Amino acid sequence: MFANSETLIRLMPEIILVALATWIFIGGTFWANRAFWSTLAMLTYLVAAIALYRHGNAPLVMSVVTIDYLGYTLRWLALLSGAVLTLMASYHLRDQLASEALGLIMLAATGTMLVACAGDLVLMFLGLELISIPTYVLLYVARPGREAAEATAKYFFLSILSSALLLYGFSFLYGLAGTTTLVGEGGVLGIQQQLVGATGGSATGLAALAPLAIVLIFAGLGFKIAAVPFHFYAPDVYQGTTNTNAGLLAVLPKIAGLVALVRIAVIAMPAIAAYAWHLSLIIAVLTMTIGNVCALWQTNLRRMLGYSSIAHAGYMLIGLTVALGANAFGSGEVNPGYGGVGALVFYLVVYVFATLGAFAVLAQLSTPEQDVATLDEVAGLNKIHPTSAALMAVFMFSLAGVPPLAGFWGKLTLFMSAVGVVTYSTNAAITPWFVVLVVAGALNAAIAAAYYLRVVSAMYFRPVTNAAPQVPSPGGIGAALICAVVVIVIGISPRALMTAARAADEAARTAPSLPVNVATDVSPASAAMAQR
Amino acid sequence: MQDRIDILMMLAPGLPLLGAILTAVLGPKLLRSQSHWPVIVGTIGALICSLLLLLHVADAQQAADLESPAGAAPYEHVVKLWTWMDIQNAYELGGTSHNFTIDIVLRLDALTAIMLCMVTLISSLVAIYSAGYMHGDRGYWRFFSYIGLFVFSMTMLVSASNFILLFVFWEAVGLCSYLLIGYWYEKPIAAAAGKKAFLVTRIGDFGFMLGLFLIWTTYGSLNYHDVYSDGAFSASTAAADATIAAQGVLSPSRIVENNYVLGGTALAICLLLMLGACGKSAQFPLHVWLPDAMEGPSPVSALIHAATMVTAGVYMVARCTPLYMASPTAQLVVAAIGAFTALLAGLIALTQFDLKRILAYSTISQLGYMFLGLGAGTLAGISAGMFHLFTHAFFKALLFLSAGSVMHAMGNVIDIRRFGGLRKLLPITYATFLVGCLALSGLPPFSGFWSKDAAIASIHDRVHALEHELEHRQAANQDEAHVPGSAAAALPAPLAALSVAQLSTYANVYQWLYYSAMFTAFLTAFYTFRAFLMTFHGELRVPHEAGDHAHEAPPSMYVPLVILAIFAAFAGLVLALSHSFDNFLLHAPSLALGWVTLTELPGKFHASVAAISILLALAGTIAACYLYLYERDQVSFLKRFFNFEWLNQVTEGAFVRLLKNWGPVAAIHNGAKRIGLGWLTALVGDIFLLLVLILSIPLLIGSYLSPYRLSFRKFYFDEIYNLLIVRPLRGIAQLFYWLDRNAVDGLVNACGYIPTRFGNLMRSLQMGLMPFYALAMVLGMIVLLAARMLWAN
Repeated sequence: MFANSETLIRLMPEIILVALATWIFIGGTFWANRAFWSTLAMLTYLVAAIALYRHGNAPLVMSVVTIDYLGYTLRWLALLSGAVLTLMASYHLRDQLASEALGLIMLAATGTMLVACAGDLVLMFLGLELISIPTYVLLYVARPGREAAEATAKYFFLSILSSALLLYGFSFLYGLAGTTTLVGEGGVLGIQQQLVGATGGSATGLAALAPLAIVLIFAGLGFKIAAVPFHFYAPDVYQGTTNTNAGLLAVLPKIAGLVALVRIAVIAMPAIAAYAWHLSLIIAVLTMTIGNVCALWQTNLRRMLGYSSIAHAGYMLIGLTVALGANAFGSGEVNPGYGGVGALVFYLVVYVFATLGAFAVLAQLSTPEQDVATLDEVAGLNKIHPTSAALMAVFMFSLAGVPPLAGFWGKLTLFMSAVGVVTYSTNAAITPWFVVLVVAGALNAAIAAAYYLRVVSAMYFRPVTNAAPQVPSPGGIGAALICAVVVIVIGISPRALMTAARAADEAARTAPSLPVNVATDVSPASAAMAQR
Repeated sequence: MQDRIDILMMLAPGLPLLGAILTAVLGPKLLRSQSHWPVIVGTIGALICSLLLLLHVADAQQAADLESPAGAAPYEHVVKLWTWMDIQNAYELGGTSHNFTIDIVLRLDALTAIMLCMVTLISSLVAIYSAGYMHGDRGYWRFFSYIGLFVFSMTMLVSASNFILLFVFWEAVGLCSYLLIGYWYEKPIAAAAGKKAFLVTRIGDFGFMLGLFLIWTTYGSLNYHDVYSDGAFSASTAAADATIAAQGVLSPSRIVENNYVLGGTALAICLLLMLGACGKSAQFPLHVWLPDAMEGPSPVSALIHAATMVTAGVYMVARCTPLYMASPTAQLVVAAIGAFTALLAGLIALTQFDLKRILAYSTISQLGYMFLGLGAGTLAGISAGMFHLFTHAFFKALLFLSAGSVMHAMGNVIDIRRFGGLRKLLPITYATFLVGCLALSGLPPFSGFWSKDAAIASIHDRVHALEHELEHRQAANQDEAHVPGSAAAALPAPLAALSVAQLSTYANVYQWLYYSAMFTAFLTAFYTFRAFLMTFHGELRVPHEAGDHAHEAPPSMYVPLVILAIFAAFAGLVLALSHSFDNFLLHAPSLALGWVTLTELPGKFHASVAAISILLALAGTIAACYLYLYERDQVSFLKRFFNFEWLNQVTEGAFVRLLKNWGPVAAIHNGAKRIGLGWLTALVGDIFLLLVLILSIPLLIGSYLSPYRLSFRKFYFDEIYNLLIVRPLRGIAQLFYWLDRNAVDGLVNACGYIPTRFGNLMRSLQMGLMPFYALAMVLGMIVLLAARMLWAN
């Protein structure tokens, strides 16, 4: 069933990427040539993109692979992030290590794509590990020295801890449902159906373990998206590694973590949404607040962007909270335009390009000898590299949510989705919570503007303090330009992305309806047995 | 035919705008010192369009007169360019809901045609003059693009057919005025004058806006014209079955029915509009900006601050005649403001030494005459006011441009004490200035005489009409109006509704306004010739700023002067004797229908009024000639006398000593000393001195407020406004500034402080130890789990 030929066709982009990544690994040992392998990697992304375009978008819910708009949009996002990261990395790699780094980035991107379309806990975990393991190596090889080693060690140990927690959660889920499939299809029962059957209105017996599972899963995936209190690693690791790696860490695990949360908490476990939305809401408020207030103090841009990525994870959890709240109270029905998952996907795209762009600007200003990361080093950038300064300003404004850039629409859709719950919900118990959520989001957006604009003011209004002349690398500036174009185009005309996000939202909402009478017909365990 | 007219109506404002845009775009780089061409060509094109329109209106009016033999037939033509805004069912009034629809509509009628011709003619001449006057200025193109913009705005102002559009261009001319007063913005005084003009007129505009709101809520429309249900604007073009969808405020259909509110609302509308007019036309109490506005270049003073923009208020009041006819009280107020302003400005002008400021005060004074005429509330008065507007535009533009020519020759010195006897040096300017002075003084046959005299005569007639009505009522022993069909001429209903007591008060006030206007005529002649003689007669004196090459202006400057002089000399004579101006003007819908047609018609020539005013003007001229033609001692004597300098002598020590040593006093004192009563007489003397000192306190104050000082310091208006309005406002502003800096900013800073403090606290958790991070993760998870479990149950 797993090796269904149709599934293989659907997964063609991932297969191409893994195959070529392997080839680049092997080839690199024979012929160390940065330019060649970079070009090949870019071509690979192109071929994978064509494959994704041709085969990736046929609606198909297999037991293992779920092809829907949610997965499709985020697979594109992961693929593009991989390409942009390759562009950023390519010019600063040493010839000896070039093929390794390029292949590792490609694998991490593939892992993200796999998580985006995973319909099964096993494939999902596999995808997540496919992101983590290459990242350990990348962190280590990218930069020599103690700092990088420390960052690698921290990330390695904490990541393993989080994986353990996640697996623990998964095992509870398996124990509850008797299956690793998230959503069953055609009479086959998945976790979604089993949980509805098991809870059946009263949380007793095995079903009481579902909240335990969701907390563990939140803990495991919270590490990936750097949510409080699982965020501690992020600033330290970002600061200790290169700009490209920091960009990778800020983007790929975040996409994977969020899509996994949507797949598990929203799609597979609507039965316990009433337990999950509180959890998500509290984590969201804590995450954005702590991320923002800590970022206020940073003078190292990578560290600042680390905290910023924490804060943005908090914003995106607003979308998740809205989706969970809609599941729990059914408010999503009345307010179809601003579903939480749609807002989350929209924001994710916007965030990814603005953050990648910011790291790309830093990356193209840095050389292996001199790492540009502090506020002092970019002071007066406008006088040395007006283009870089302008690009950086665009990303900062977008991250701060200033119209007419993409970030504004991202925040708007997120807050609107939360306001939608407040407006349309008939449940008096839910309203104050979401009011708090919206107010916290708005206050945080105001706080965040302070540190983003400080970067802009340093670039434009401070004298030059970094005397060493830098030669911007064409790859880095290309990556930054791509990101800037995306940010500006989405800002001016958000309609296309809005449509895609809405389709993703529909996908998350119209997951197959529950088979009738499951609970009375068969017990979960026996049903799972029968299925095999 | 009609299409051609429509196009001409659009071209009249369009060509100057095009010129302004071309100059603004091409001026700085391409045209440079040739920047005047687009604007000159544009304004002359507009002039040609205006003249064609004038001819068309004259033809159409003649045709209309033939059809309706009874009285002047109204003519108006309205063109809609596009709809600016359209709000359905914006306001409900009397059971019907009104749409708030503002179209960009241009109109053509007698009033508009006259204003268009006057504005474009003066603008063309001033533009040509400026090409010489502003030659070599740093912002040459900037000047001409502003002028073009102004001509566009002014032509739109007089062409607009609804109040919103009128207000928009009312503000636009104000903006142009601001820009041009502060044209030499490097001079702080010019920048301040621009700001003052803008702010003072804003006060008037505020009243104007309130007036417009009140018109909207009262009449449910802001259009002048009717709008028919098929979209047409007049009965002649509308379909036979079309009805009036929205009746305009000043439309023939409304005027002919006299469908206007009376009483307090009418008075409020009129007074609010008058406040706007006071701001724009520099009438008391908002007249203070115009003299300062003379900091702008002389052509600007001539064009904007004498001939065109400042008459916008007069135009507006004349346009709104039907509204004013509904409130005789408002008309009285208009007349009173006009007469008082005329007198006030005339008194101030007596003692000024700045040539352009004297002319500015004379402008304020003459504008007062215009309002006086409008306030008479009769056809004679209104047409006299508009006629004075028309002739004044020529002779005042002439005077300002001539003054500009003097400034040009004198190296921008404008103080008439510093030069003199220029008649040899500037013969052409001398001649043109003289023509302007004669016209301004109101000496026949120059144009100022005919129009000013008509305005004064209309007040005279008004007094007569009111007294006549009073006599009738007393004869019939009635307190109310005539019963219909009685012998006396019919009065407009609002006037007829007044009681006998009110009527006699009105008659008295108008009588005093008449005296005041006559006295002002004397003042006008005096100050005009004072300035003229000090400038052009006496010994030749040239300030050092002029260098030794003081010379007559170039042809581009003196040719417009000569043309204007011809108009200033003969326009009044020709138009007044042929009555063509009145006949033409009275076809404007506002003046051709309704209550106003019941009033005195223009065209009567009052020999007695004319004789008195000529005599007074001659007296003023002769007095000025006597005092200033040769240096006379009497000038300084008069100055001392009116400055109450004799009062100061009373309080000086010398006067006391003089008194003490005066024969009889000294004799009595010495006699008393001899008999040992010296102490008594000394005591009496001291008490007497003390009394004198106490009594002299009002005299001291009096010397401070002597007529001369009052006039010289402009009746302390600037100081009073500064004390009563500017200072308190500045104080409040400073208070708010302090509150903003301390309270509001403090609050904002606190908002910024809290997150950073919190961030610092959170940051301290980030100690870089991996075991701690792992512990935090696990602990966090356990806390969440525990909370979850507790919550679940």
